[in-house]
Amino acid sequence: MIKLTPAVINAVMKPARYTGSELNAVKKDHANVDFTIALSLPDVYEVGMSNLGLKILYQVLNNRKYVAAERVFSPWIDMEEKMRENDIELYSLETFTPIREFNMVGFSLQYEMIYSNVINMLDLAKIPLLTIDRKAEDPFIIGGGPCVYNAEPVADFFDFFIVGEGEEVILEVADAFIAWKKEDKIGGRTEFLRRVAMIDGIYVPSFYSVTYAENHMITSVQPLCKEAKPVVTKRLIADMDASEFVTNPVVPYIDIVHDRIMLELFRGCTRGCRFCQAGVLYRPVRERTPEKLLLLAKELVDSTGYDEMSLTSLSSADYSCLGELVSHLMDTFQEEGVSISLPSLRIDSFSIELAHKLQQVRKSGLTFAPEAGTQRLRDVINKGVTEENLEQAVTAAFQQGWTNVKLYFMIGLPTETDEDIIGIANLAQKVVNLYKEVKGRRGARVTVSVSSFVPKPHTAFQWFAQNTEEELARKQQLLREAIKDRSINYKYHDSKTSFLEGVIARGDRKIGQVILEAWKQGAKFDGWSEHFKYDVWMDAFKTCQIDPTFYNQRERAQEELLPWDHISSGANKEFLMREYKNAVAEKFTPDCRNGQCSACGVCTNLNVKVVDWSREV
Amino acid sequence: MKKFRTEITKGEELRYISHLDYASAIERSIRRTKMPVAFSEGFNPHMKISFASALALGVTSATEYMDVEFKTDVDLDEFCEKIKQELPPGVQLLQAKPLEGKHQALMAMIDLATYQITIPFTGEFSAVEKAVAEYNQAETVMYTRYSPKKGKKEIEIKQYMSQPVKVNQKNDDIIFDVVIDVTPAGSIKPGEVLKTLVENFAMPIDVAEAFIHRIGLYSGGKTPIEL
Repeated sequence: MIKLTPAVINAVMKPARYTGSELNAVKKDHANVDFTIALSLPDVYEVGMSNLGLKILYQVLNNRKYVAAERVFSPWIDMEEKMRENDIELYSLETFTPIREFNMVGFSLQYEMIYSNVINMLDLAKIPLLTIDRKAEDPFIIGGGPCVYNAEPVADFFDFFIVGEGEEVILEVADAFIAWKKEDKIGGRTEFLRRVAMIDGIYVPSFYSVTYAENHMITSVQPLCKEAKPVVTKRLIADMDASEFVTNPVVPYIDIVHDRIMLELFRGCTRGCRFCQAGVLYRPVRERTPEKLLLLAKELVDSTGYDEMSLTSLSSADYSCLGELVSHLMDTFQEEGVSISLPSLRIDSFSIELAHKLQQVRKSGLTFAPEAGTQRLRDVINKGVTEENLEQAVTAAFQQGWTNVKLYFMIGLPTETDEDIIGIANLAQKVVNLYKEVKGRRGARVTVSVSSFVPKPHTAFQWFAQNTEEELARKQQLLREAIKDRSINYKYHDSKTSFLEGVIARGDRKIGQVILEAWKQGAKFDGWSEHFKYDVWMDAFKTCQIDPTFYNQRERAQEELLPWDHISSGANKEFLMREYKNAVAEKFTPDCRNGQCSACGVCTNLNVKVVDWSREV
Repeated sequence: MKKFRTEITKGEELRYISHLDYASAIERSIRRTKMPVAFSEGFNPHMKISFASALALGVTSATEYMDVEFKTDVDLDEFCEKIKQELPPGVQLLQAKPLEGKHQALMAMIDLATYQITIPFTGEFSAVEKAVAEYNQAETVMYTRYSPKKGKKEIEIKQYMSQPVKVNQKNDDIIFDVVIDVTPAGSIKPGEVLKTLVENFAMPIDVAEAFIHRIGLYSGGKTPIEL
């Protein structure tokens, strides 16, 4: 057991990040269980503790008497320094057990910019960084989350990946481990990996060989053993009502990013925005019933004592029974003073009415995401929102008393012209003017927040060449000049981060050595702008003699073998190709949940169906 | 009864929790009891609970005091039974009593706080004793408090210490008993006394190693629950 002295813990910021003992944390004696796993999101405590997937796995695993699942996050810079200084190994928050003593360590990979932290954590845990160096007594390092749909850049560091929704397959993995352990770990690590490779949704990267042409293009990805499937297809939960959900979450003592109850209404979003990776990865839409959600909500309020509940999903406002659910929740919890919130709004007046109902007193501000400045470009990205929709929504919001509106946009989208950039400024100006029309005076505060588009695997834009940093900088400047009104606040993201994210997101196995090299030179917490060391990364590319622009700024041919082609979300590549063509042709593809199937292939390939309770009365 | 006074602890599990986070954790515990706790009026209603004295991050306590108010009459035993089940690890309910009629706010009534400070120590104990003796004899001792908001401030700390600091050795630890006056004009923290002993009186210990534990809070010689 790791012991922290006051001299260590008094010297760091927010020490409660490292001391555990929170309400609902599960402590088990490892001598009495058959399987132990440390669950991690390789970022700081406040970020990691806010992840719903991790909470679900924690409960699903700990519901089994024979399993101990504990948590570990990335120590912040100050704590890492103290740990290295005092030779303190990375430990779990429940029983302060060194991480390398667990049977498995599971990392939730939510964004590419966190890979250097995985390496850093393995190092702090004294676990060999590369799978090939791990010995019998070392834990299996496993990964999950959206990034595993192209896990190639971190393939060398992970023993295996879980592709898709984890709450069922993680138990199959646990059972496989226990069976192997009871057979005295016959055949060593490789035998266990062969066994898990046979489980649907498990990808063992070391069981595949990748060959390259002289021009660096991938020529083949070959399974090396019969257990390794040519294509690994994602796992998913078909019946959300029947699936285990987190009802007993760990309640932190310190304020975390999402410090409230998370009630997951549904999974999937089939609006079909062509830039959106989540929209493909989590298909199809599967809703929970309002009755089930009400029961879960009561359990969550009882077990946590939180006074706020967020209705989470990819696009919560699309929940088919939202009005009914919100009314029931408000009636049920009004007496207890539990407030209900929606993390995202749709651009329509229904959403405004709902937001008004939820925020009776405080009008903190509304956020909309038109994503692009002109109708033409919104058609390209299949964002089914018109200027009229936005006008109506904003008018309704101003009438209800809101004054602050935040608008999210992206620049660097396919087919984008300067006209589209100026369109962002025009749209923001229109919102400012609308306020004056509605209220008869000035006073709107409009924030325009602009991020740089990063093409992601498994989307219609996976072949698209990302804009260069120079081009993005030019567009950012163009927009700055186009915004004339002082009541518009303009914010944009650092294009250097987007550049690296673009490289890693569509990288292949060769990127692994760059990540390792960058970490050796001090890269960590790359997602935190104050710690992002762009030069270190660029030097690492040079050292490894890898041209980053090969991965992000090259328009890929449709017939190219992509690094992630052997991982399937269930959607066919032909569908994505078709959608790219539709994008360029500015053709709209409707949301399939309303009956018009766009033949992405998910339902047939995975034998599932859309679950929308408004249609199944 | 609509208002209760409780005596609770802040244990080792919660040592590194700030006062505000400690209060939120208790607040959530009260919510979980489902009892009709009272809220303030206004746009941003907050639970009607109040504490005697804020406890710094890094400090545990044997006795903290909290008043809690309800909307309707609540049975004291029922409240005690329920809250015991809901308090987070490290918080225990020791005593509770109903509060009747008018009464002074908890925060305003405390005039004395006692602490025990434990530090692992293997050096020369006489050097520690000497520093403590000199400190106890000093008429006045100045301490400079730095605060990120208020900046630098010079404080004379002996005005808050009408009783001498006691020090004992026990196995590999030294244990300080520190009694501090809490006045309307202010007070001093036990950690600040320790720092002064090191910086001004050359006491050979590492302040960073200290485990600080609050033993009691008093008003006119009695605990708030005895009053």
